Amino acid sequence: MLASVFAKTLVEQRRALIWWAMGLVAACLLTTAFYPSIHENAASFERLLDSLPEGLRRAFGEDFASPAGYLQARLFSIFAPVLFLIFAIGAGARAIAGEEEHKTLDLLLSTPVPRRRVLLDKAFAMLAATVGLGVVLALAIAVSGPPFEIAVSTANIAAAVGDCVLLSIAFGSIAIAVGAGTGRRSVAIGLTAGIAAGSYLIDVLALSVDGLGWLQRLSPFFFYRESDPIAHGLDPWDAVVLAAIAIVSTGIAVAAFDRRDLAA
Amino acid sequence: MNGSTPALEVARLTKSYGRSRGVVDLTFSVERGEIFGYLGPNGAGKTTTIRTILDFIRPTGGRATVLGLDARRDAVEIHRRIGYLPGEFGLYERFTGLEQLTYVGSLRGGVEERSIRDLADRFDLDLGIRIASLSHGNKQKVGLIQAFMHRPEVLILDEPTQGLDPLMQQEFYRVLHETRERGGTVFLSSHVMPEVEHVCDRVGIIRDGRLAAVEEIADLKGKALKMIEVRMASPVPAPAFEHVPGVREVVAFGDRLRITLAGPIDPVVKALARYEVLDLQSREPSLEEIFLTFYAGPDDHAG
Repeated sequence: MLASVFAKTLVEQRRALIWWAMGLVAACLLTTAFYPSIHENAASFERLLDSLPEGLRRAFGEDFASPAGYLQARLFSIFAPVLFLIFAIGAGARAIAGEEEHKTLDLLLSTPVPRRRVLLDKAFAMLAATVGLGVVLALAIAVSGPPFEIAVSTANIAAAVGDCVLLSIAFGSIAIAVGAGTGRRSVAIGLTAGIAAGSYLIDVLALSVDGLGWLQRLSPFFFYRESDPIAHGLDPWDAVVLAAIAIVSTGIAVAAFDRRDLAA
Repeated sequence: MNGSTPALEVARLTKSYGRSRGVVDLTFSVERGEIFGYLGPNGAGKTTTIRTILDFIRPTGGRATVLGLDARRDAVEIHRRIGYLPGEFGLYERFTGLEQLTYVGSLRGGVEERSIRDLADRFDLDLGIRIASLSHGNKQKVGLIQAFMHRPEVLILDEPTQGLDPLMQQEFYRVLHETRERGGTVFLSSHVMPEVEHVCDRVGIIRDGRLAAVEEIADLKGKALKMIEVRMASPVPAPAFEHVPGVREVVAFGDRLRITLAGPIDPVVKALARYEVLDLQSREPSLEEIFLTFYAGPDDHAG
């Protein structure tokens, strides 16, 4: 049960994971259960949406009345990514900086486990936990959708949740890198959350301001949102970009952690 | 096969942190089967030295080797063969003592639970209690057990007895001696002179980041000073004791005398016997006083 840093990291957060899973299921039920009433009043919601600035409207999704459009607007535009980002950034910031701040890192690294192995184990634990929560959310949507007239293909549910998981793993990896480079959890959380908020704003802003298309492509949120996976499936290239952010960040994390003096 | 290489060797080791203190140009070695004390006041650079040997911080100059292995390049192999107790450490608060030790043990490739339980019995530690509810002394015991449980060749212990009650300190000293008997080497830091005197074969004294001396304990004891404070029935002039063998300094104020002594106390007692003595106290000088007497640098008398 405690045979590796990976296993220990997951075992340690089992209780927190159960709470997260229950919260996700509850959030999902609250979303799907309201679809019928919103569907009936689709016309008034469309009018409400029409009153929003174009950028925001496009960020939320314009097709509010269809099941896919509804899930996109209510769940995947902002709610699910924010929850997953909070989880992954928290786990990423704890990975190295948490151990360093709690002064458990010296004992851990005095074992014959190389620094990079500790970091990669922590990174894979963050990945596994996030994927696990993704599976819970996908199952919850697939099971609770049909009774409330939400008919979306399982493949598209998996694509949309997978997209969300990839986005949060990308930011979780950035948090690992900041934490491994600075040894400070608050810096890792603050900086990464700031980057996430900034890149969300860039993406939304670029939707309504002409000529910002190039800037948009610096935002992970652009690659998250662009292909609208709940309606059209996941664009492989978008997935590749998000995965590449995670891989490069983890590489930077390993390099920074290997070189650094650790706090006593 | 490389039995002749020292257990630990530090050569011109330097670590600077900008303008603040670090360690400067340290050179010493610890032989196999030796208990080596690393003595110095808090903040002298003991922990910095140790964490450099462990490859947690990187030297700005010089190098350290453990069992002939380079601290930087062969850190993982070194970690496999040593036991380490940090001076200040955290444990996983939600774990029990046994879980913490099992985890660290499995990262070392597995440690017999028997070995953990034996040490826990000796240190009188309940392994089933969550670490969050352990006292400071009991957490220190968990730290000690994880350092010893895999019977490493070299132990590097940073202030190992802090927080231990006297009974447990004695048990710890016994474990140290058993370690030496089975051929193990111990490098331990301390700011407590009597402790180092009691358990170590040799001592390195560090002060302000520099190595002041490396001595056999026997030699250091020869140098160790005693302070004798005497209250007499009537005032006695200081010169009456200045030529007693071993006396370094005599200060008289009223009916009191303070005698600083290097060597046996007997001649002083005999000399005192000629007068009426109301009270006599003898104490070990503090580490700081020894430093000032024997290892003071040229600048140290300024203040």
